[in-house]
Amino acid sequence: MSSPVPVKAPAGRKLRRSTDTQSFISSLPWIGPALLLILAIVVFPAGYMIYNSTRKISSVGTDLHSAGLANFSTIFADPALPRILANTFFWVVSVVLITVVISLALAQFLSKPFPGRTIVRMAVIVPWAASVVMTTTVFYYGLDPNYGIFNHFFVQIGFMDEGFGWTKNAIPAMAVSVVVAIFVSIPFTTYTLLAGLQAVPGDTLEAARMDGAGRWKTYLFVVLPQLRSALAVAVLINIINVFNNLPILKVMTGSIPGNSADTLMTYIFKVLQFDRRLDLSSALSVVNFAIVLVIVAIYVKTVKPMQEV
Amino acid sequence: MKRTKRSAVLALSAAAALLLTSCGFSGGNDSGGSAESEGAQTTLEMLVPTYSTGTKALWEGVIDDFETEHPNIKVNLEVQSWENIENVLKTKLQGNQAPDIYNGGAFAEFAAEDLLAPASDVASAETLADFQTAFADAEKYQDTQYGLPLIASARALFYNKDLMEEAGVKNVPTTWDQLHDASKAISDKTKADGYGMPLGSEEAQGESLIWFAGNGGNFGDAQKIAVNTPANLEAAEFMKKMIDDGVTQNDPGATQRTPMLNTFIQGKLGFAYALPQTVGQIKKENPDLNYGIAAVATKTGSPATLGVADRLMSFKNDGSKSAAVKEFFDYFFSADVYTDWVSTEGFLPTTKSGSEKLAGDETLKPFLDLLPNAVFYPTTNPAWNATDGAFKSLMGEIATGKSAQEVLDAIQAKADAAK
Repeated sequence: MSSPVPVKAPAGRKLRRSTDTQSFISSLPWIGPALLLILAIVVFPAGYMIYNSTRKISSVGTDLHSAGLANFSTIFADPALPRILANTFFWVVSVVLITVVISLALAQFLSKPFPGRTIVRMAVIVPWAASVVMTTTVFYYGLDPNYGIFNHFFVQIGFMDEGFGWTKNAIPAMAVSVVVAIFVSIPFTTYTLLAGLQAVPGDTLEAARMDGAGRWKTYLFVVLPQLRSALAVAVLINIINVFNNLPILKVMTGSIPGNSADTLMTYIFKVLQFDRRLDLSSALSVVNFAIVLVIVAIYVKTVKPMQEV
Repeated sequence: MKRTKRSAVLALSAAAALLLTSCGFSGGNDSGGSAESEGAQTTLEMLVPTYSTGTKALWEGVIDDFETEHPNIKVNLEVQSWENIENVLKTKLQGNQAPDIYNGGAFAEFAAEDLLAPASDVASAETLADFQTAFADAEKYQDTQYGLPLIASARALFYNKDLMEEAGVKNVPTTWDQLHDASKAISDKTKADGYGMPLGSEEAQGESLIWFAGNGGNFGDAQKIAVNTPANLEAAEFMKKMIDDGVTQNDPGATQRTPMLNTFIQGKLGFAYALPQTVGQIKKENPDLNYGIAAVATKTGSPATLGVADRLMSFKNDGSKSAAVKEFFDYFFSADVYTDWVSTEGFLPTTKSGSEKLAGDETLKPFLDLLPNAVFYPTTNPAWNATDGAFKSLMGEIATGKSAQEVLDAIQAKADAAK
């Protein structure tokens, strides 16, 4: 990467090397456990996943023999894949985009002093504090065609004649999943942006006002640019989270037959659960992993989030 | 100062040790350490699914009594839902932690990979001789018996008498066309749905085989999985007709069996195929339901149904625990323990002694009558598990626009790919 991180001058390097080694050794006991943890729960499983993707594994789970790249050619030849990738794209873009827009407004609102602000701020955290599976399950039952409370409500107010299977058809199920995902993503995003907002110095706002900028102009040209790093963190973490989200979709779209409502993540799960193909699902996971890496790389390259304003 | 340093080092090494042990691939003998010290105690790992809400307590009762009789054997019970158990098992197999006792549906693929202990190693000759021959034969892979048949079950048509009367349906349907017309009458003339068709991932394979069997079809045999046969296709097309004509509940492709049966129990469904346990459930949850039980409706009216047999099996691991497993199986299949278990769960017995004891049971009678005409899953075919998974994930697509032919072909392709 060509990020303009200041590089330390090489002068005096020799002198410093011995002290560098020494300080590394003395710091090892402190960073050691973290390093071990990363090796054990990040590097090793990722390596093992890549290894599995090149093996032929029986449906029981026995490693039979090497398969080369055959697993990858199988998954790329899968006619269901284009729809799954399109679903994944729609899912990530809609959830992240709407979440960020709502959170920007909410953060702005929460940074203004008003009576009861603490209580409102606490309330925003609630979806974050609750388990995602629990929240989703509440929505899932609420949307049940026979005894769901939402359906009951819609029927009572005369909006519908009978309960509708929101979670039983691909498109509505995807739509309600997006709503749930936004609901659970908002707290984190709002708080990240709120922290960013509070770091905006008051004098820049005052200066903008003195120069006669209106509210919108102040927001667009003074506040928003200063929110850049907070936005970057919020967007990036949301993209990865939403992309890799299984619980919401598994609960909401899990009962839909076929692959019309699958994202890459739920598809990997189905390949493992129904087809019992550990090798194919590992290959899909490698693809998943690669896509996340590419997204992050493109994002870092084009938005340059780490650059100072 | 020195003291804090030392305790920090201690804490660090403790943390490191913890990490190392918990993240390594352990070999499945982690009970070794404590077991040695308490004399020659054997710990058996047991993994079972839930047949009903009482399953866990029922097994716990069996295990408690067994452990009192055999103080040197300890049984660790793990209970999982049907939806999860195969994933749990798979994870255990990959981690070399195969359960010593496992209660499941399919066994042939495990036998094909030589993971199971032959039945003769884990049960005495008397126990094996007590199984009814037809069931014992279904537990064989290449002439060796691996599974011990645990339960048998058959499906029958449950009908709601009140809804039939309200819709003006006089006779209980015995053919497909009668079932179609009766369901249509109920859908049109009452607020309830006519027929409950659960093609969701819970049990699409069961609903499918009930219909296929009604046309003389099946899923193939031990040698070959045959899904897209003409007989099956005709049945699948009739299922699609039921759906397209709107005589079923909404979204049959995404409907699970359990919630569908709950709507029947609440009296909001005209017809549904259900199990012996449903009788007990109705008694408990809605005793006022005015319903009846009849034979499955088939194309011509000749009797046929889906039979299910589940089994206990033992993963051999290193083979050191087979004597203890044998003690447990012999204890469990003794007439009193076994009949108590089977009748509490509401299933049909697979042993000769059990059948004699339960012969007079009124609830079980309609199902026992259907059993001779039951079609079973081809569980002795190693590709059955993949076929089962393909039905669960794909069969519902006949309700979301795909043709019956397309769907059956896709399932067949997945079955063929699993060889």
